[in-house]
Amino acid sequence: MTKDVLIIGGGIAGIQASLDLADMGVKVHLVEKLPSIGGKMAQLDKTFPTNDCAI
Amino acid sequence: MLDVGRHPNIELLAYSEVENLEGQAGDFRITVRKKARYVEENKCTGCGACSEKCPTTVPDAFNEGLGTRRAVYAYFAQGIPSTRTIDPDHCRQLKGKKCGICAKICQADAIDFDQKDRMMELNVGAIILAAGYDVFDPSLIPEYRYREIPNVVTAIEFERILSASGPTGGHVDRPSDLAVKADIEPLEKKINKSGRTLEKFEKKYNQTSQEFYTSYTPGEYVDDDDLKKWSDKYRDHFSIVQTLEALKKKAKTFDPAKRLAFIQCVGSRDFRFYPFCSGYCCMHSIKEAIIANEHDPETTSTIFGMDIRAVGKGFEEYKIRGGNTSGITYVRGRAAEITEGPEHNPVVIYEDTRERKVKSQDFDMVILATACAPSKGIVELSKILGIALDDYGFVKTSALSPVDTTVPGIFVCGCAESPMDVPESVAQASSAAERAAEIVFQPDFEKGKAIA
Amino acid sequence: MPENNDTEPKIGVFICHCGSNIAGYLDMEALADYAQTLPHVAFVQRNLYTCSETGINEIKKGIEDHNLNRVVVASCSPRTHEPLFRSSCEEAGLNPYLFEMVNIRDQCSWVHMKEKEDGTAKAKDLMAMGIAKAALLKAQNPIISEVTPRALIIGGGMAGMTAALGLANRGYEVVLVERETSLGGLLNQLNRLGPSMINAADVVQEKVKAIMNHPEVTVFTEAGVVDVKGFIGKFQVGIETRTGIKNIDIGVIVVAIGGAPFVPHGMYGYNGQTVITQFEFEQRLKEGPDPEIKNIVMIQCVGIRNEERPYCSRICCQTAVKNAMLLKDHNPDANVFILYRDMQMYGVENEEMFRDSKAKGVRYIHYDPAIPPEVESHKVKVYHSLLGKDMALPADLVVLSTPLVAHKDVGETSQLLRVPVDENGFFLEGHVKLKPLDFATDGIFLCGSARFPANIRETIAQGLGAASRASIPLSKGSVVVEPIISVLADEDACRGCGLCVPLCPYGALEIEHNQKGRKVHVIDVACKGCGVCAATCYQHALTINSFTDEQIDAQIDAFLA
Repeated sequence: MTKDVLIIGGGIAGIQASLDLADMGVKVHLVEKLPSIGGKMAQLDKTFPTNDCAI
Repeated sequence: MLDVGRHPNIELLAYSEVENLEGQAGDFRITVRKKARYVEENKCTGCGACSEKCPTTVPDAFNEGLGTRRAVYAYFAQGIPSTRTIDPDHCRQLKGKKCGICAKICQADAIDFDQKDRMMELNVGAIILAAGYDVFDPSLIPEYRYREIPNVVTAIEFERILSASGPTGGHVDRPSDLAVKADIEPLEKKINKSGRTLEKFEKKYNQTSQEFYTSYTPGEYVDDDDLKKWSDKYRDHFSIVQTLEALKKKAKTFDPAKRLAFIQCVGSRDFRFYPFCSGYCCMHSIKEAIIANEHDPETTSTIFGMDIRAVGKGFEEYKIRGGNTSGITYVRGRAAEITEGPEHNPVVIYEDTRERKVKSQDFDMVILATACAPSKGIVELSKILGIALDDYGFVKTSALSPVDTTVPGIFVCGCAESPMDVPESVAQASSAAERAAEIVFQPDFEKGKAIA
Repeated sequence: MPENNDTEPKIGVFICHCGSNIAGYLDMEALADYAQTLPHVAFVQRNLYTCSETGINEIKKGIEDHNLNRVVVASCSPRTHEPLFRSSCEEAGLNPYLFEMVNIRDQCSWVHMKEKEDGTAKAKDLMAMGIAKAALLKAQNPIISEVTPRALIIGGGMAGMTAALGLANRGYEVVLVERETSLGGLLNQLNRLGPSMINAADVVQEKVKAIMNHPEVTVFTEAGVVDVKGFIGKFQVGIETRTGIKNIDIGVIVVAIGGAPFVPHGMYGYNGQTVITQFEFEQRLKEGPDPEIKNIVMIQCVGIRNEERPYCSRICCQTAVKNAMLLKDHNPDANVFILYRDMQMYGVENEEMFRDSKAKGVRYIHYDPAIPPEVESHKVKVYHSLLGKDMALPADLVVLSTPLVAHKDVGETSQLLRVPVDENGFFLEGHVKLKPLDFATDGIFLCGSARFPANIRETIAQGLGAASRASIPLSKGSVVVEPIISVLADEDACRGCGLCVPLCPYGALEIEHNQKGRKVHVIDVACKGCGVCAATCYQHALTINSFTDEQIDAQIDAFLA
């Protein structure tokens, strides 16, 4: 049986790591200290160099 | 972000913190504290009715304190989970006062003032640390006068000012102007209230307040409390009206900021604070300057930096494009000082190293490209996890094992490892996922090769 | 999945109040009454929150009690809630693609908070359109395709080897193809790697040993990919090897062909002897630097950050600083000058190395690209832009820092795999921010300097990352695709003109010859349903499931009615 993985931090890095593992079939526990995930990137208006929306 | 919320393999433990760790790679046992939200997650639909009615206003951390939220709140509008949270430091009910309005409003019956922190035990094979970073506090640099001059802001504050969902609705309004506007509203409320009181007197004595006051000589109605009150009220009212009109007249002259300065390496490449380069700030400033110019094509920006480090894919091109089409001037040099000129205009004093001259220039607004500081909680977290940090407080790794911490089975990615931009964080996150997967999957190498 | 392809549509309409988000601004009763009057509507219900457990149960009960065969929910955004409502329909025995969502919140109540009457009228129109479309919906089934549990890695440098080992350590079979006679790529020709000054040869040797000893990895050197057919999970790849062509079934592909150092012919008197590239200098340092050389001048940004090659190659500054330090270690009396435009010493380690190099006596001179340095016999003339004066530096050796440019195989690889390259010849990822290691085409990934110049740390991180990304379809074992994709609805109408084929961003279209002649074929597992082909097809032969011309016409008619 595959063990679970714990991810600490729900910013863009934690989100990406969670999604990769979850898509592989691993059960992931994502711990975020703030009330919502998203991290610093969610605070950005747009991102360079393509000026896409950050959320 | 949304995909995390609904992925069947992801258990989202927001508003939670790791408290203890035991075991080793392949078999870690972790204690997690799930902090009380005072809102039941399985009942709250995220409709937001509670926040609308909550009487308590609190500075909004998501908007870097530039706007306000209520004591029952969503961290930001599109936040996942959408479950609201009650801030125990500000909620009237939780502070022992009478309120409970949110509980009455909530049609889903989700408010629970008696909720307690819950401790959870997890058993995992591997851990990925993605604790991020903190924005360097530029008030530590006295010569930039970040807290003293209202129109000196940080890059992340400016990000919220530029954002359509931010406190200014995306208008590049200057904080000094916003402060004036913020003063207008309570004054208006005040004169509305005193206006109503004056109306009562006017009806009672069938005379306008102004007529009454003009004919009134101080000391005249010492014995008549009612008339004295009227005269006092009118005097106060009139002085507020004058202040208000002056403010309004001033507010009419306010224009959005059009002359921007960006100061690079604020806290970075600075031996007093962080000697390292934070990597992403040059591009962050260029991006903000380009967006500001998109908001208003008359906006010009001056970027003060020692080197402009545009090292990522498409970055150098973006930098050149910004200079050519978005009104950006790059000045090679480190800003020495910021002072306050007339109209709250910040004045940047700097050495133009190419012309070998000390110059000063005034701007509508100055944006500080603050350093990527190690996250404040990282020292404690690293003790819980038993991992080593580098001299600055980033998680220690090596060039050949870029996401392995000093503890087997614990991996790191993103700015907890070192300053980096979004695509690098995303790539590193996948690397950490790969390393974690190598531990939790136990492959069977017996089957042999199909291709000879 | 239930079929429910039936006779008469019986539509159930569920209108969500979303607390007060919708009900506070629109006339809900009027909406419900109006829905009742629309064709095929058999049941209308209002819910406080359709997405709550109560709301979901109401949908299920409605389907059962009223024999509904179509469901419309008028509420918020399908982006957040469509998956929930679809699966609820399925749980009640209704094919999930017989569900339609109407957004009367984000695009109606929220934007018309002060116009109740007009907002309600708009919501009515939106509902009429959704209901008209729902009547024409057809049941769909997800497309499932098996994945061959084998990865192909193109390129045996550090990025490719790291990706190969990652996948192999996870238990997947890996085929690694390398053009040259040995693995290691550019690293084979490097000396030491900054900032820790590890020996490049040791790094390569260790990795190669791990690869060669791994039971899951098959290595082909002096080999190249010559043919690629198929799509994610089912690629058929032809590999030309020393012993002939091998045809191998592959599930996923990782592109790691690296980059190449630019050779500055005709620039700054480049001669390969006294004026050499930084890359050539690495090889001299490897052999031990000539003790006779006392004065070295390095020039940064040679052949780069100009009109022809506008990008910054990211790693040349750190390479120059590292080599300057190594030289100073060998010969502390040597004079080393680095002429630069911006010192790109980003991050923690690079900036530390930059600082240490100054302590060792490496000297830096800023030059303006408009007044470039001039290389003469045994000296370099430069206008020191910060001192504002011309200088002449003695130079026994001039080292030109040239960029990494695209590998010569880029064009061929890009054509074979049908994946794009950017204006500088590097491969173009699916999204420069959020999908740095994926191509837009499913099942193909990239890492290392084939994507953009990267140092050793970044290359290893990307190699591991690409392994993670590539392992996802392998670990799933099959690819499940939402059936909202392009279909050749009218085969007779297709003239096989092929206009649509190059426009498909996902390589999901091909021209095939069948009994009826030249016809387009949609590779359904590769299609993302973007609709570019359907919009292009002037014969209206291609259409998108659940967005057919007929359905869209019905929506327009309902709006105009």
